[in-house]
Amino acid sequence: MWWIKKALVLDPAQGYTGERDVLVKDGFILKVGNFLEEDVPEFFGQENLEGVKIVEAAGKYLFPGLIDVHVHLREPGQEDKEDIRSGSRAAVRGGFTSVLAMANTKPVIDQRALVEFVRLQGERAGMARVYPVAAVTKGFQGQELVEMMDIREGGAVAFSDDGLGIQNAEIMRLAFEYAKLTGCPIISHCEDENLAARGVMRRGEASARLGLKGIPASAESVMVARDVLLAGEAGGKLHIAHVSTKESVMIIRTAKKLGIDVTAEVNPHHLLFSDQDVGLTRTDLKVNPPLPTKEDQEALLEGLLDGTIDMLATDHAPHTWEEKAKPFPEAPFGINSLETALAVVWQELVEKGKLPALKVIELWSRNPAQRFNLPGGTLETGSPADLVLFDPAYKERITAESMESKAQNTPFLGQELQGFPVMTWVGGKLVMADRKVICN
Amino acid sequence: MQWRHKDLLDLDTLTAEEIRHIIKTAQPMKEILSRPMKKLPTLRGKNVVLLFYESSTRTRTSFETAAKILGADTTNFSVAVSSVNKGESLLDTAKTLQAMNVDLVIVRHSSSGAAEFLANVLEAGVINGGDGQHAHPTQALLDFYTLQEKLGGFEGKKIVIVGDILHSRVARSNVLGLKKLGADVTLVGPPTLLPDEMKYLGVKLSYDLDKELPGADAVMALRLQLERQQSGLFPSIREYSKLYGLSLERLKKTGKKTIVMHPGPMNRGVEIMSDLADSVQSVIEEQVTNGVAVRMALIYLLIGGGTGNVVD
Amino acid sequence: MEGIPKNRIMDEDGIRRAISRISHEIVEKNKGTKDLLLIGIRTRGVPLAERIQKRIAEFEKVTLPLGLLDITLYRDDLSTIDVQPVLHETRVPFSIEGKTVILVDDVLFTGRTARAALDALIDLGRPQKIQLAVLIDRGHRELPIRADYVGKNVPTSRREIVSVCLQETDGRDEVLLLEKKS
Repeated sequence: MWWIKKALVLDPAQGYTGERDVLVKDGFILKVGNFLEEDVPEFFGQENLEGVKIVEAAGKYLFPGLIDVHVHLREPGQEDKEDIRSGSRAAVRGGFTSVLAMANTKPVIDQRALVEFVRLQGERAGMARVYPVAAVTKGFQGQELVEMMDIREGGAVAFSDDGLGIQNAEIMRLAFEYAKLTGCPIISHCEDENLAARGVMRRGEASARLGLKGIPASAESVMVARDVLLAGEAGGKLHIAHVSTKESVMIIRTAKKLGIDVTAEVNPHHLLFSDQDVGLTRTDLKVNPPLPTKEDQEALLEGLLDGTIDMLATDHAPHTWEEKAKPFPEAPFGINSLETALAVVWQELVEKGKLPALKVIELWSRNPAQRFNLPGGTLETGSPADLVLFDPAYKERITAESMESKAQNTPFLGQELQGFPVMTWVGGKLVMADRKVICN
Repeated sequence: MQWRHKDLLDLDTLTAEEIRHIIKTAQPMKEILSRPMKKLPTLRGKNVVLLFYESSTRTRTSFETAAKILGADTTNFSVAVSSVNKGESLLDTAKTLQAMNVDLVIVRHSSSGAAEFLANVLEAGVINGGDGQHAHPTQALLDFYTLQEKLGGFEGKKIVIVGDILHSRVARSNVLGLKKLGADVTLVGPPTLLPDEMKYLGVKLSYDLDKELPGADAVMALRLQLERQQSGLFPSIREYSKLYGLSLERLKKTGKKTIVMHPGPMNRGVEIMSDLADSVQSVIEEQVTNGVAVRMALIYLLIGGGTGNVVD
Repeated sequence: MEGIPKNRIMDEDGIRRAISRISHEIVEKNKGTKDLLLIGIRTRGVPLAERIQKRIAEFEKVTLPLGLLDITLYRDDLSTIDVQPVLHETRVPFSIEGKTVILVDDVLFTGRTARAALDALIDLGRPQKIQLAVLIDRGHRELPIRADYVGKNVPTSRREIVSVCLQETDGRDEVLLLEKKS
């Protein structure tokens, strides 16, 4: 049981910010409000008082734990990069109490037994809640649909061939149709392979200057257009992963106006780094979709503010040091994000007035919970006590030693950032305090 | 003028003064090439490694000749016989070379940035012998040497570069350097091989060769990778040649005694016709000779002593 | 070369007389001008060789062929010196095969420059004979090398610098003895 005193509460579900006490009992939110000291024992019950731990939270923010709908935890098969234990520890250290684990593991998560394995590994780790995302097509081949119903029974919350775009439009259309049985969204990794043509960064003057093969913005946008049309026609639920072009934002905005059931996410690195930042030895910035232009960044931010884009997601993609220590074209795509994403969004967007704090929690907690039908995302009485206490003044240098993730492929390595979670609870259990994960 | 670089990776980092210094240093080297006895004691005991991940007979031979004339020992670390095929990473190869205490590594690699990557890892100097589509500084420098010899300078000279600009590291390096030297550069090619983004170079882009030829002091044809036709970048070699192939007749449009250059190897009958390639206007063979002289100059500048003034 | 001037070893007339004497000695020792070539070692050996060429032409009515030698690429101290020397052209536009080459330099000191010049010359061909002419011999040899023609022998200490200034390179003719700045 917890009595968190005088925290600056951010709860987009109830639309408020302000100084309040939060009471947690039996893993759930008991009450949120401004209480007189003498009233509190009654809420917990006099007989339970000994077990109530008090947190003095003045000057710190308290919000529902973040839900990241896009992480790569690499287990099974690539445990040298990350595993579910290390990834879910990194999650709670970064302020995430729930994560959706993508299916591009080895083997690909395309059957119920594998889905259950991922879910159980998450439970064994006992950190963030780990929700499996299953493949759309068997073996990511883009040809035959997986057993969606059986897989949903096993615990999958969405379907996605993330890592690869489904090239065959008819397969994608069928996926939208069949997935209606499950009620789960299809998460689309929008990439036309012919247009992308094994490029390694966004096509433009920066790629021309570096002599790196470019991926045109259209490689993403044409697939976004295709998928909203298909989802509209089939009547399925579409979630678009890692939106990175202004054209995609425009298409999604139009699709929403047309009543198509589409949501979309944007990754913090697409808001914070542009193609101008890419250098020949900056493999830490090699990511897919590639870093966009400044114009795209403005459109993405506008999309977040006007509701076109529904959520933030990290696309946490750990890779080993050796894999990234290569010439740019040969290094793998991906940025390690879970432990830095909230800090940099806070430092670069919230503190600079580009994104209100309450909006960040809506984008990263409430909206994901609603779209993927997950517990959390609110501080309403009776909801699970997935909580984050965030200290906007806390400074930390990002180092390999301090990170919980097995990999360190973050562009912030060695840098000092400001604004970090200092306590994280999952289901009322304290899993991170003073920037350290608590082992049981 | 003092040389201050540990490596030669691209032309971005060279000043006009440094480029002129390289050209000046190459002049005495060219004299040595004309001697019956082409061997110097200068770099005796120095080890130069030729690390070639892309096949290239001319560039490798040119570097090897240059290093040997200066008295250095050369070691060929070529792909077919090395551990590269066993999947050794560039990083591990670099560490191996470091452990062997080599003095200079000349690298050619299909990945843009490979030379910079090596230079960051190695204590030895690195010369970029061509990395992906990024840079080919020694080719550009030998072109500058040739232009200096033939045109007497760069200021106000009109240089037309024609061909597959998009995929050409030669074109990129040439433009960057020629701009610094004050030349007036025009790039010509079909839109698929000369896309808009090439405007980052800050020179004139044109699709029409015949319109750009008048007044040109030098025309440089680039090698066309014939397999790009299969990727749909141009419809046929026939049409390409018709639009952008250089011939003796076409070159008359310059109205000048224009010189013709080509980095080689040539596709005769495609980007350049034999009548022109073998004409007096062609300086293609001299480019090869100058290539050895310029590479000697660079090797001397990088490892020919003077340890006190290297800053990067 | 920076240093504090101590005294003047030679003035304009002194240099002129020394060149004149060396020119006569060259012709005398070689019994005429047949097969003689002059090669100046860059930088100050070149104007000195030109002056010898001119002087010999005056009294023998023969202009000896003159070459320029840059010995940078033959130096033995390249890997240890701090500042890399700038390379200049070697221009010997004639065959030295079977000829008598008079190498000309300003100062003979350790002998290392002369050694480098000998190697450089031999790479250009096989002369019958090589002779060395210098304006100043200041001693302190580190190699078994001696000059055939000397303008002036100047005993020096290692802390001293001999600075030869010539009209062509420095705008005046004089030889100074300087003390190295500590």
